[in-house]
Amino acid sequence: MRNLIITTLTLSLLFAGISCKRRDRVRVQHTEEEAPQLATTVHMADPRSSSQLLSGFHDIEQNAWRWTTGKFAVLLRAPRGSAEKGALLRLKFSVPEPVIGKLNAVSLKAVIHGTGLAPETFTQPGEFTYERDVSATLLGKDSIKVEFVLDKWLPAGAVDQRELGVIVSSVGFESK
Amino acid sequence: MNHARRVAYWAVPSLLCLAVHWYGFNSWFQADDFAWLGLGLDVHDWRSFLDAMFSPRAQGTVRPWSERAYFMGFYSLFGLDALPFRIWVFLTQVANLVLVASIAARLTASRAAGFWAAVFWGVNASLAQVLAWSSAYNQALVTFFILLSFHFLLRSIETGRRRYEVAQWIVFLLGFGAQELNVVYPALAGGYTLLCARKHFRRTLPLFAVSIAYTAAHMLLIPRQTTGLYVMHFTSSVLRTLATYWSWTVGPPWLVVPWKISVAWVVAGVVLVSIPLLAFAVRRALRGDRLPSFFVLWYVAAIAPVLPLRDHLTEYYPFLPAIGLAMLGGFALVVAWRRNAAWKAAAVLTAAVYLVMAVPSARAAGEWFYNRSRRVERLVLGVERAHELHPGRTILLHGVDETLFWMGVLDRPYRLFGAQVFLTPDSEKMILANPAYGDVAEFVLPPEATARALDRDAVVVYDVSGERLKNITSTYSRSFANKGATPRRIDATSPLMDYLLGPTWYKGDPQTRWMPAKATFRIAGPASPSEKLYLRGICPEKLLAAGPVDVTVTADGIPLAPARITPANASFEFAFTLPARLVGKDAIEIGIAVSRTFVPPEDGRELGLAFGTFEVR
Repeated sequence: MRNLIITTLTLSLLFAGISCKRRDRVRVQHTEEEAPQLATTVHMADPRSSSQLLSGFHDIEQNAWRWTTGKFAVLLRAPRGSAEKGALLRLKFSVPEPVIGKLNAVSLKAVIHGTGLAPETFTQPGEFTYERDVSATLLGKDSIKVEFVLDKWLPAGAVDQRELGVIVSSVGFESK
Repeated sequence: MNHARRVAYWAVPSLLCLAVHWYGFNSWFQADDFAWLGLGLDVHDWRSFLDAMFSPRAQGTVRPWSERAYFMGFYSLFGLDALPFRIWVFLTQVANLVLVASIAARLTASRAAGFWAAVFWGVNASLAQVLAWSSAYNQALVTFFILLSFHFLLRSIETGRRRYEVAQWIVFLLGFGAQELNVVYPALAGGYTLLCARKHFRRTLPLFAVSIAYTAAHMLLIPRQTTGLYVMHFTSSVLRTLATYWSWTVGPPWLVVPWKISVAWVVAGVVLVSIPLLAFAVRRALRGDRLPSFFVLWYVAAIAPVLPLRDHLTEYYPFLPAIGLAMLGGFALVVAWRRNAAWKAAAVLTAAVYLVMAVPSARAAGEWFYNRSRRVERLVLGVERAHELHPGRTILLHGVDETLFWMGVLDRPYRLFGAQVFLTPDSEKMILANPAYGDVAEFVLPPEATARALDRDAVVVYDVSGERLKNITSTYSRSFANKGATPRRIDATSPLMDYLLGPTWYKGDPQTRWMPAKATFRIAGPASPSEKLYLRGICPEKLLAAGPVDVTVTADGIPLAPARITPANASFEFAFTLPARLVGKDAIEIGIAVSRTFVPPEDGRELGLAFGTFEVR
């Protein structure tokens, strides 16, 4: 038994030495990443795609939504197959009571490559989805700049120091 | 013997073993290791800990020391760092080698015989897998318990002290927690005393009673395998299997050596080693020395439990039995060395033939395990990194080949760090089906779900065919053509399948998705009238406490056969025959309703059943 214990302990120290030496090795890089690509849908809550918000968006609030100005623009990746089939553009947003209270109605339209999509008018406060078919001819490139235009908005100083339009939670394309 | 020689005597066999099995020392995890590493994920309290430690698992085995405690303990301390696991295995092996040398020296009254027995066993090729693969650690540990028990038996016989007999009993009983092979110990103890120390034979008989009771309990409590690789065949195949394992013990497993030589040479080598060994045993037996016969008996008794496993030949099964032949070889070498030059030459030649076959084979086997484990390491750690970089997104693996699938995907290592992983559509074409081990289709994301996931940026795609995982999401997305219809198989736990599920389902967790009283989902219709709908899931104990639960299932509004869940089938897979009129439909809507639900106070949700998969096949 004594031999068993002595031999085992001696070799424990040997193995422990090997172990310590190995642990200092630099770990290899396990993945090779591609260049970051644009998202087809930008969620305001996702900080990774905030760089796709080109203009007209205020700072994120409650990690979930952003106020816009009267005009705002976003850069989106065209979804797979959209150059053949077109896609759906979907903006999820809300019109708060103070906006409707002051402006009575707000009209929103999207513009892609200078082509305006059909506008929609909102006369009640609440959550809405602005959804439009986008033809394939407008989606020939990988990245698409989409501009949104409101016909009315709250100018800076009316209820806030900022110019205020609507509150956006997400915007993106969806495959057909 | 001076101090240096004494140190060398005990250390050289271990260092030689380490050198020969160096690849094994550096191996990473693979295959079943991940199932054992994940055992602790289900431990939340004392009860679940006891369940993880002692409930029967793979093939109904209960190995708390060598599998449950080993994996859970080391994983909780070291995570996915394999080195501490390997060190522990090798330390156990060092103890085994010291015990082999000690036992052989006592039995033969020759320290040289003990030394050579340890050397011969330490380089045996059957050790390669045990020393390279953590899941085979049970072999090393049960061998330790058996050797230590035998050591105490010898000490008990030598000294007549009761404490050694008590120690033998304690170690023997503990050995059952390492591996079932421990049942052979009474045969070894009884065989030795019967042949070489007969007046002590009767003292070994109670050991047999324990092994018989253990075997009976095992057969009674653990369901016997009736299909698959672990079916036992008590036919003449037992002798063929014995011959196979013998040849793998004195020669290389599968009779393969890492040189380009005819297998006939290897067979000749096996014969060249076997004949002198057996001749030595017979000759000594004829002269009244039954010790060599005991060494042969050791081999036969230790290999006997696996001989009926005709369809599951495994390289490491001779691990413990080989000790018998190693001791026989060590003894034969020493006896021959005391004779004239011709005997010496014959003994050296026999030993050389053995070593020439064993050492390169052991190293090649270790290297093979090592290389395979390193591929798995790159895959698993790559996925872990991808999960860190893309939290919340499912990882799609592209280019997974057969080895990577069976060794690095099947046992779901990714649940250790909470990643959701699938293979890209059509991956199953690269992987040879092996239903005895698992179903590749379970791991492949259906094309329609893949297309939707790519469109929603819900997945990242990695090519795993190179040295490192390569993110190919954009190129894969551009080239991926959705030619898929409604999936025939739905992994209910995956958020990528949400679009197929009705509005009442709760959010999926890593293992299941709960429904309330009613739920619906969409799935492909049957392609032929023989195809059925399979629902796999679990019914919680709390729901069954008030009696059986009735499940009503409809397909496109048509009621299917009623199903009932009782405690006996709480973990269920129901197969429903589908109406003929649904054959060929692209999609059908399945409705599920349960007769009773419950609301766990800590959860607050109304819960019915938890599902894993739905399938039409």
